[in-house]
Amino acid sequence: MFNHHPLTRWLLGYEAQRKRMLKKAPEGPLRDFLRVPFPALYTPFDQIPILAVDFETTGLDAVQDKLLSVGCVDLCHNQIKLGSSYHQIINTKGRLKADNVTIHQITDDQKDQGQPLAEVIEQLLKRLAGKVMLVHFARIERQFLRQACLELYGMAPPLPIIDTLVVAKKRLDKRDVAYDPSQLRLSALRATYQLPDHYAHNALNDAIATAELLLAQVNDRADNVALQQLIL
Amino acid sequence: MDSALTEISEFIQAIPPMDLLPSHILEQVVKEISICYVRRGESLPPKGVIDENLYILRKGALSYVSADDELLGRYGEGEICTVFCFNNDDNIKVTTDEDTLLYSINYHNFHQLVGEFSDVMAFFQHTSEQRLNKKMLQVNEDAILNASLLNSSIANFYHSPVVTIAPDASIQQAAILMTEKGFSCLVIANHKQPLGIVTDKDIRRRCVAQGLAIDQPVSTIMTDNMATIDLKSTAYDALMMMTQKHIHHLPVTSNRQLKGMVTVTDLMNNEGQNAVNITSVIHKAKSVSELTDISQMIPKLQIRMAKLGTTADHVGKSISAITMAFTIRLIEMAEKLLGPPPVPYAWLAAGSQARQEQFAHSDQDNALIISNDMQPQHSYWFKDLATFVSDGLAACGFIYCPGDVMATNPKWCQTQDVWAQYFAKWINTPEPKALMHCSIFFDLTTVYGESSLLEQVQTNMLKTTQRSTLFIAHLSRNALNLRPPLGFFRDFVLIQDGENKATLDLKHNGIAPIVDLARIYALSEGIASVNTIERLQQAAGTPSLTKASAANLIDAYEFLSMLRMMHQANKLQQGKQPNNYLSPKEISKLEREHLKDAFKVIKTMQDSRQSTY
Repeated sequence: MFNHHPLTRWLLGYEAQRKRMLKKAPEGPLRDFLRVPFPALYTPFDQIPILAVDFETTGLDAVQDKLLSVGCVDLCHNQIKLGSSYHQIINTKGRLKADNVTIHQITDDQKDQGQPLAEVIEQLLKRLAGKVMLVHFARIERQFLRQACLELYGMAPPLPIIDTLVVAKKRLDKRDVAYDPSQLRLSALRATYQLPDHYAHNALNDAIATAELLLAQVNDRADNVALQQLIL
Repeated sequence: MDSALTEISEFIQAIPPMDLLPSHILEQVVKEISICYVRRGESLPPKGVIDENLYILRKGALSYVSADDELLGRYGEGEICTVFCFNNDDNIKVTTDEDTLLYSINYHNFHQLVGEFSDVMAFFQHTSEQRLNKKMLQVNEDAILNASLLNSSIANFYHSPVVTIAPDASIQQAAILMTEKGFSCLVIANHKQPLGIVTDKDIRRRCVAQGLAIDQPVSTIMTDNMATIDLKSTAYDALMMMTQKHIHHLPVTSNRQLKGMVTVTDLMNNEGQNAVNITSVIHKAKSVSELTDISQMIPKLQIRMAKLGTTADHVGKSISAITMAFTIRLIEMAEKLLGPPPVPYAWLAAGSQARQEQFAHSDQDNALIISNDMQPQHSYWFKDLATFVSDGLAACGFIYCPGDVMATNPKWCQTQDVWAQYFAKWINTPEPKALMHCSIFFDLTTVYGESSLLEQVQTNMLKTTQRSTLFIAHLSRNALNLRPPLGFFRDFVLIQDGENKATLDLKHNGIAPIVDLARIYALSEGIASVNTIERLQQAAGTPSLTKASAANLIDAYEFLSMLRMMHQANKLQQGKQPNNYLSPKEISKLEREHLKDAFKVIKTMQDSRQSTY
């Protein structure tokens, strides 16, 4: 638990990692990403530049499975800016499995008209530079983005992340009552905050839905929380 | 577009006036959205927002209150809060009633995208009163496009030139001229100045039957003091005059100069199944059962007029004219049966019929005013008359008045003196409860008989009401008992339970309060008209009512009446009993907006009335 000490985290944390990696990173999208400092841990919520991100994938294994689409939108100053939204289907190799198509609703035809992975990751890193990534259930996005960076640039950058699932889980754990894990699903959590139903399994839609959920979670507290209390 | 934004743009597109935007503009509007989340009990604009913004409610509810903390209304899901589009000069405060998810759009950017769509911009640039007014202008335009009898000026109908004959011409010369021209009537005129009229019937009854020499001047058999109608009147006015006076020819004048002639046939040719047609059939009916058959046409007429886009004002006037024709025909039948009246009298209509605001299946509200020469033994004749006529009206679908405001009630079958005493008592020693029941008698008109009987009483009554502030105060208090269903949760307060659950009572919460207000203005200003719109028009600019408020009330009244008319037309078409209970689901979102605007207008006027007394 020593890495929760602010100073230790500062030394070993994402900002230190960023600076170290910047020295080694090859010229290109990754280096550009690493050039921009991340926000400090004490940044109050309404000042944190956040990019809500969601991926649709062919499965849960970042090595074997493929990234199908990326959606993201900016959240800053308590506002989700739809003008900043980005959604792109990726032209991955191989055919899609039928049982998957029913979930993400991306067909082979759409996929074939998508953009190559390298271009989409470049776009995403450009948008993510200097920001905290917001996701619901971080494992998927973190691993797939790491994997994509390793394949494309030979190294994976540090990623400061806020995970709405973890924010919710911490609160439930504090209350010390048993809960069903299904309560932590995006749609279930949104429902507890009376947020409207959303059309799930579209990357941009889920990114917006996640950002709305975070707004509700943060505004549920009277005080203005800082990045430190939210970050993974 | 990306399917995420498709979902949002579909949501936006369903909200008037955004539904008027083409999809490529809408797409750009959606890109301007910032999603905000505001906790319950916080005020708008959200923290850190300083721009002039419009807010679309995605989820939650907002209240807006005036600077002195009066609740002005509420915004619910799918509504647009325009309070912060401009400098908020009125210092209106907006707070969230629930945790609220908002789509905020910078108004400056929105204006740049949408500026050329004037219909859309109008929504943002106008107050609720102005929006309502715009809607009513449009409705009236539709009515004019569907030009019906009621919108047509006499100028479109009349025959010109009229065949005239000098007063000193002989009866025979007149008969020859009529035969030559194939006319059933001639106007007797001296240098274009109309003096009288002579018809086929006059020659038969006043000349041939009386054995009068045919070389006598035609002026001896003419009807002088004839009714004429001004060129500027509407065809509807002509119909009313013909129905009331029981005539089929009406000379048209302009500045007292004879311009032409309008006949009942002219009116009928203009429309098929219309009020004129029905009234003319009514005049020819021989029995009550025939009248009953004819009465089946009234709902059809109402449906047809509503579908044609006729305004509620005109429908009300047409139905009222028909009721009047039924009543007159029934009285004629009764007089035939009972013999001539022992003393002069007049049959009076009260309430909606008097105001010419009647719809199909209304109650009958009527009364009798009798000359002061009436003797006790005469009362039987009048009782029989009243029973015959009100039973006849009931057979024709005009149900007996639940409050027993009918000529059959001895209390409302009285001499001129007694009526004068009634009015004096109501005005000088007003009791709120009594007033509630009798305010109907301040809307009174003569349907048949000696109209001077009522006119004298009314003239005196109006002189008194103008001075009697106590009476006006009591009347105002009663009128304020009916409030528009606004100001509670998300703007509408719907009927909670029972058969009409989740509906709005258009009559009691919307139309009746305006009728009441108009009556108060008229009585405090000594205005003789009883029709609500006419009362408001005439009261406009007096100390009781500003011109702008009058215009707003008229718009609100017309809009509410139109909704009621459409609602009833739909019910009638489904073969159901028409009522006044409107479900908000029946109408479009935009109409709901206008409905709220109309209720806001009523509330404003009631509040100012309350502060006056």
